[in-house]
Amino acid sequence: MLRPFLAFWAGRLAAFICRLWQRGGTSLPGYLALKIDPDIMGRLASRYKQIILVTGTNGKTTTANLLASICRAAGLQVVHNSEGANMPAGVTTALLNRRGDIAVLEVDEGTLGLVTRQVRADGVIITNLLRDQLDRYHELEQLAAAISRALEAIPAAALILNADDSLVTSLGRGRDRVRYFGLARTPWSQEITSEVLEGHICPLCRRPLEFNYYHYSHLGDYSCPRCSYSRPAAEYEGRVLVLNADGARFDLIYPEGRLPLRTPMPGIYNVYNVLAAAGAALQLKIDPATIARVVAAFLPGQGRAENFSLRSKKLTLMLVKNPAGLSVALKTLTSGRGKATYLLAINDLAADGRDVSWLWDADLTPLLRAPYQRIICAGLRAGDMAICLKYQGVRERDLKVIPGQEESVDFLLEEPGAEGIILCTYTNLALYRRILKKRGAVSEVTPLPSLSGTP
Amino acid sequence: MKLRLCHLYPELLNLYGDRGNILVLCRRAEWRGIAVEVTPVSLGDKLDPQGYDLIFLGGGPDQEQGVASADLLAKGPWLKEAVEAGVALLAICGGYQLLGEYYRTGSGETLPGAGLFAAYTEAGTRRLKGNIAIQVEELEVDRPVIGFENHGGRTFLQGARPLGRVIYGDGNNGSDGTEGARYKNAVGTYLHGPLLSKNPHLADYLLRLALQRRHGEVELPPLDDSLEFAVNEAVYRRFLPTKGKW
Ligand SMILES: [Zn+2]
Repeated sequence: MLRPFLAFWAGRLAAFICRLWQRGGTSLPGYLALKIDPDIMGRLASRYKQIILVTGTNGKTTTANLLASICRAAGLQVVHNSEGANMPAGVTTALLNRRGDIAVLEVDEGTLGLVTRQVRADGVIITNLLRDQLDRYHELEQLAAAISRALEAIPAAALILNADDSLVTSLGRGRDRVRYFGLARTPWSQEITSEVLEGHICPLCRRPLEFNYYHYSHLGDYSCPRCSYSRPAAEYEGRVLVLNADGARFDLIYPEGRLPLRTPMPGIYNVYNVLAAAGAALQLKIDPATIARVVAAFLPGQGRAENFSLRSKKLTLMLVKNPAGLSVALKTLTSGRGKATYLLAINDLAADGRDVSWLWDADLTPLLRAPYQRIICAGLRAGDMAICLKYQGVRERDLKVIPGQEESVDFLLEEPGAEGIILCTYTNLALYRRILKKRGAVSEVTPLPSLSGTP
Repeated sequence: MKLRLCHLYPELLNLYGDRGNILVLCRRAEWRGIAVEVTPVSLGDKLDPQGYDLIFLGGGPDQEQGVASADLLAKGPWLKEAVEAGVALLAICGGYQLLGEYYRTGSGETLPGAGLFAAYTEAGTRRLKGNIAIQVEELEVDRPVIGFENHGGRTFLQGARPLGRVIYGDGNNGSDGTEGARYKNAVGTYLHGPLLSKNPHLADYLLRLALQRRHGEVELPPLDDSLEFAVNEAVYRRFLPTKGKW
């Protein structure tokens, strides 16, 4: 009995020291605690009344942060790994916190099984399974199979699944407690897609699925021409969607009613994040008015479309990490915008994904059609990005290849025009943030809704 | 003059930016005033062996590749007829494996291939993954062909000649220094994704192969490839192993 005790206090002590040093977001306390007691995650988890896991390839940080904010606003004591430390050590670090009513835990999709082996979760939200760094999880279907095995360890858990993602819905087969969130046809839905598709094979009979329409990537309304497999009806469905540069509004139709929602987060992928979090909150019987209030005020933290003002320029910095993310970012950030300078900073370090072939899978048409001042390509793979744009139709004199990140920002600041859009892969993000700050940029991020629930 | 491209299974075999190769071929033809027509050919479609100048086959995830492989066996005789008649072909990664004689899985099962290349593939344990550079003899510009590979299978040539020699990276199997396979005007390679984008010399070589059957030796006017070759050079040097380093 000494070991769990030691593990707990070693972890707490490490957490205390980390806070003293103001080093937030570390996984070190959990790492230490797990080293001493490999079963500590399960022991810690049993101190919470409810545990909700959020996983998937994209959007899990935003979804988990939003759900945690809604729960706090509803007066619940929430424990949450809000810095996106989503590997077992990060999850354990979060659980080392004080007791609470509910733990909302973002969990890495590749290591979900390590968590469900110990943690008896009450609910699991799965956002989507989009292609993301395939050289790490090289097959989406293998990933889906691993998630399916991880879910077998918690047969009683309620699942909240993305109805529009055929790979995710396949995870609901044979389970008792499944609810779906999804998006009805929108004016932006397309009958064909120029993005590269995955996850479009029927999970039952292995025939290619047929699509009535796509929302983005392979998310949409699908059915199998051979068997009965098709998009399930969504208990939490977004309808009458209006998207614009300042965010989105739509009605959330749920079994008991209709909830009009407005979010300041731009992009259709954020509509899915809101649907998932709001659906889960409704399932937790949280007051719909509270949900709408938090959704209306919630903006994600640093890195995900952050605005800066620097000299006379308005700059937007955003993370892109895969073809779907780049396609949607371009669609969102170019919409309704005047002549801007675009800077695409592409690295190929381990955290970015070593293989940059994915650039060719993104739908760059919104950028090609936008009024651009110039397109600057930067980072270790600046040249790959430039060639990709050249073959898609950008004139070489409108392209500028500047691999050095500092130099690329200086060039951008010298360009005419009031707006600059900087899209970065993972390892460029913090770097560009630092470069902008060093040159005196002022961040305009609205902080997360406060813990007390006042908007 | 018109270039007729056939894209096999575009909706199934589409990993890692493979479609970039079609775009590069189209643009490099169009910039020289050659019209291009791209025809998708998929499951159950007939493949006209005389209908195209170049056939392209990419790689895909395991499931999709399985679906395509069954269909490809049925199309095998048409593909062979086309290549025997001098049609050019580019097959990448999974597509390359499917055109060999067979693929032996980890459990010892033997899956027949279309048999275009005298080569076979075996499942390996570790994936061969990373930046790769190869030397291809036939090219008019003396620069390496560079790319990225990511494959579990090891391919062994049984009489087929390789596309090139590995400078760094793994190539066919990580042991014999060969990369890819050639048969007549058909090319198979593990250099996946938008391979032709950083290798304009290889792209033009394929264009000439594609056009020569119907138009004889074609003179392709030079293009400004300074961007492409600068990137080729920079990426090549960046991953070149340093000799004499501990
Ligand atoms: Zn089916």
